[in-house]
Amino acid sequence: MNPTLSELEAKATGKKVAFGGDAHIVCDNLVRIYKTEGVEVVALQGLDLVIDEGELVAIVGASGSGKSTLLNVLSGLDVPTAGVARVAGMDLLSMNARDRLRYRRSVVGFIWQQTARNLLPYLTARENVELPMKLAGGPSGASRARSRRERADELLELLGVASCANRKAPEMSGGQQQRVSIAVALANSPQLILADEPTGELDSETSEQVFDALRTANRELGVTVVIVTHDPLVSEQVDRTVGIRDGRTSSETLRREGAEGQIIAEEYAVLDRVGRLQLPRDFMNALEMERRVRLELESDHIGVWPAREEPSND
Amino acid sequence: MRIWLLARVHLGPVAVLFVLTLSACLLVAGLPRATQAAYDEALRRALSATPAVQADLTVAVESRSPEEDLHERAQFDSRDRLWREILPGELRPLVTGAGHMSAKTTLTPITGTGGKSYLNLGWLSDGERRVDWVRGRAPGAPATMRYEGKTIPVFEVGIVEEALREMGLGVGQTKMVGEHDYAAVTIVGAYRAKDPGDRYWSHNADLLHVSKIQPPGGLDFEKHITALTSDAGLTVLSGEGRNLTYRWVLPIATGAANALDVPGLRAAVAEFDRVVALQSNGTASPYHVETGLPKVLGDFLAALSTAQTVMYLVLGGLLAVALGVIVLAVQLLADRLDHALTLARARGGSLRQVAGAAAALTGLAVVPGALAGYALSYLVPGPVLPVVHVGPVIVVLAAVGFAAVRLALAHRRPLHERRDDVAAARPSAKRVTLEVLVVVLALVGAYLLRARGLSASAGQDPFLLVVPVALTAAAALITLRCYPYPLRLFVRVAARGRAAVAFLGLTRAARARSASVLPVLILLPALAVSVFAAVISDGIAGTQRLASWQQVGAPIRMISDIEIPATAIEQVRRTPGVAQVVPAQTGRVQVGYGAERAEAIAVDVAQWRSILGDAPVGLPSLPDGALVSPELRGRGTLELGWQSRLKLPTRGVIDSVPGFYATGKFLVVPLSVQIRPAVNTLLIKGDASDATLTELARLVPSATVESQERALLAIRDDPLTGTVRSTLVVVTVALAAYALLAVVLSLVVGAADRARAVSFLRTLGLSHRQAQRLTVLEILPMILFTALAGLGLGLGLPAALGPGVDLSSYAGDLPVGDYSLDLFLPSALTAGLAAVAVLGAYAHTAISRRLSLGAVLRVGDLT
Repeated sequence: MNPTLSELEAKATGKKVAFGGDAHIVCDNLVRIYKTEGVEVVALQGLDLVIDEGELVAIVGASGSGKSTLLNVLSGLDVPTAGVARVAGMDLLSMNARDRLRYRRSVVGFIWQQTARNLLPYLTARENVELPMKLAGGPSGASRARSRRERADELLELLGVASCANRKAPEMSGGQQQRVSIAVALANSPQLILADEPTGELDSETSEQVFDALRTANRELGVTVVIVTHDPLVSEQVDRTVGIRDGRTSSETLRREGAEGQIIAEEYAVLDRVGRLQLPRDFMNALEMERRVRLELESDHIGVWPAREEPSND
Repeated sequence: MRIWLLARVHLGPVAVLFVLTLSACLLVAGLPRATQAAYDEALRRALSATPAVQADLTVAVESRSPEEDLHERAQFDSRDRLWREILPGELRPLVTGAGHMSAKTTLTPITGTGGKSYLNLGWLSDGERRVDWVRGRAPGAPATMRYEGKTIPVFEVGIVEEALREMGLGVGQTKMVGEHDYAAVTIVGAYRAKDPGDRYWSHNADLLHVSKIQPPGGLDFEKHITALTSDAGLTVLSGEGRNLTYRWVLPIATGAANALDVPGLRAAVAEFDRVVALQSNGTASPYHVETGLPKVLGDFLAALSTAQTVMYLVLGGLLAVALGVIVLAVQLLADRLDHALTLARARGGSLRQVAGAAAALTGLAVVPGALAGYALSYLVPGPVLPVVHVGPVIVVLAAVGFAAVRLALAHRRPLHERRDDVAAARPSAKRVTLEVLVVVLALVGAYLLRARGLSASAGQDPFLLVVPVALTAAAALITLRCYPYPLRLFVRVAARGRAAVAFLGLTRAARARSASVLPVLILLPALAVSVFAAVISDGIAGTQRLASWQQVGAPIRMISDIEIPATAIEQVRRTPGVAQVVPAQTGRVQVGYGAERAEAIAVDVAQWRSILGDAPVGLPSLPDGALVSPELRGRGTLELGWQSRLKLPTRGVIDSVPGFYATGKFLVVPLSVQIRPAVNTLLIKGDASDATLTELARLVPSATVESQERALLAIRDDPLTGTVRSTLVVVTVALAAYALLAVVLSLVVGAADRARAVSFLRTLGLSHRQAQRLTVLEILPMILFTALAGLGLGLGLPAALGPGVDLSSYAGDLPVGDYSLDLFLPSALTAGLAAVAVLGAYAHTAISRRLSLGAVLRVGDLT
């Protein structure tokens, strides 16, 4: 049935549903090109990513695949060259410096891999947690200072490092430092926490503690958590793992609990909005696929064949 | 951000910054005070050394008719008040003391002496207080008498004791004066000045001494004396028929003179002359100001402007270098703060918070330092100039401003990823054009300055000040742009060799990194200015020595008015401390048979040469004949009339006879040409101690004894000279210290970076010894190249500015032109810098040896 004029008008003037809808994090065809003194590096080559509010997502990928660049973009530290990046409804490309500062202060918190880089060594854990609150400003005064202190203690308590409140960074273990770092990241009640290999420098037992802390933040405070990691221990414990290859999202692994309580992990390739798909490298190698492949649409799937071979009938 | 906590954490850089600011502010505020104090002292000495009659302001007017006569003291007083009222404001602080007034006649002949004796009449407002009556009494009221049918006044006068003898006058005598308007003068007393040395008598020397004047063409001397008359005498003293001049002397208080006011003073004197002339009210002869003050001030200003030029250059260089080192220290602090500020910025610190914290921390270090330096500068005696206040403010603003701007730029974006591994991009065409323009402008400026020159009396020439700055900037640009090129040649050579360290070290050194810009910008002017100061200082010292030798001509010289007897010469020879005595005879000799005269000295030139030794003056050898001045050249054989007739061939032309003649006609002949030499001069080699000189003066009472050392001391004693030299020395030392500090600071600033690089290489098998060599090779080339460029610039600047900087007034009026290349100090500076760099590199690798590789590499891993 042909649409009526009023229907067409409503469609034209009505808001189009954007890619990703109202997801918490939306990256659409994100491009980031570094230009340093004449050398150009394309770190993100049209990356798509959608993460919903309250999700705990791991991003994995080989070294140089663009994970850290993505995290820097999402944390408001870096500005993408092109594409769409939206976090909590805020467009990261069109933000000015002031908006970006506000974004970093109140929307996002992050944790770096190097424990030494997250904390100021001459401040105690509590002072480190208070620092972002102080930087965010607001009214000063004794009651304000008290509430900051209470908030810091609360966060340290939540993350299981209340005993370290008065210790300085060098007096804490690596795991404690990272957990304090999580508290620092949570100081201004952000909606999103980004962690760049937070367990990269830690042994497996301590990693477990740090990951637990992140999960606590996710569950107790409802914060969306995105972790970049190499650590299978971490990537196996999250609901969704996004793989990045050559600056693009290449695969997603979803985990769900099976009927008998076992964890079932299913790996998916990612199809982007224009229909591009990255085939896993081992698949391509096994069938010696290169340059051209043949596709065939079936009723419930699409077949992919090497160009030279005739498709079989099954 | 808690600033106190940050200060405590980064105590080292903060303390360095504090000390640097303190020293810079002390130097910047203190040195100008000291130099200004010396300028003032020099002006006061110059004024004191000038006879009062030239330095003081004298308003004079001649009386030509009875209407213009002043007969009462009150008339003088009212005009004196008037002069002081209309005195321009600039002169008021100088004219504070009570002056005096006078009325004097000039050229008043004693009747019947045929114009050979003059007895002038003089009245002094305070004459009574200034003299003691030694004979007779003070003059009283005048009387009258009849002379040649007219009633003429009879003045009672007193006369100076000396004149009674010299002019054959006596107390009680009455002399007629004048050739047609007669007057009688009765000498009733003779006086003696209470204090003949007082500057007061400079104005009234005619009352104290008989002046003898040889009229042109005449053989006999005219004798002039002014006699002192009383207030009552003034009532009948009239300008009608006499040359009568009234004078109001406004003495200058030399102690109140201030070098800063000098240009204003010259204008004020001219203004005073103008307003004084306006008071004339149509009288036949106008009031006018008689003073030599503008000339004295002009001469002083000429000497001053040179001193100021050198001081501006040197102090400006010092300020620039001090600022550079402070900025380097701020950079060190900023580097240390980098982690905290990056973290704060990433965690939501605004640019203002981040830059503000850095600026506040820098201010915390710099402001107390500046205040302390400013306060300490008050211990330096001298007037408070604007620069005393402005200097420390500039230092503080530069330091805090640099900290704020640098960190604001660095943290403009929260994530500042530096790609140190990427080779420097090629400079843009715009930048290269700009740099070439600066270099070309500097060279053209230097050429124009040399071609044009300038007169020192013209005051400050901004061009002269700009050219060295431009040259320094040009040298810095050339050094920065070009120093990698020769290094790359070495790299190419090193690449062929088997040793990896040389190749690696030189390669790292050859990479023109922006981090090395600041040390170059500090080292280059520091070395250039200190070498410049050292060369100028050496030049002045050498020329002062030359001037002293030219003044005296021998280690010790005795000149007597009369012949020195042979026995006295023998005694001089035997005096302890005297090594050698060369007798000489000086005199004015007749050249040829006419009226031509020349100054001559007869001396054994070979002996004279031997006592001169390695002095910077000398004479060619002269076994016979004569050495003549340029004015007597080309005469062939000279015929001289000196005791007897002498015929001497010219053996050479000399510009001067050291210690004796430098201008006009003069000649040197061997002493042996005199049949009976009348020795009146002794040239002595020996110990020129005070005791010896006193002994020599005692042996030959008729002689004046001078020594080269004393002459040198006298030249050096001048406050302007002393200050110029001591300031140059202070600045040289300060700049050398700053240069060393710059090296140390740049080592510390780059330490973390280098530690990381060395650690990486150590994982590849670099030994500690190799690491040390690597560090040295990496640092040394930049320091050596900059040091050489600075050295070249410093040595070249005096030559480039040569005509613009006239230092003759500091070197006994000899032009300082021969800037000898004494390479000791510059080489010592360069060697010192290189040594500190090497030591620093070794110390650095020794310290980093203690760090474990893993720690360094992990901390350094910023990805």
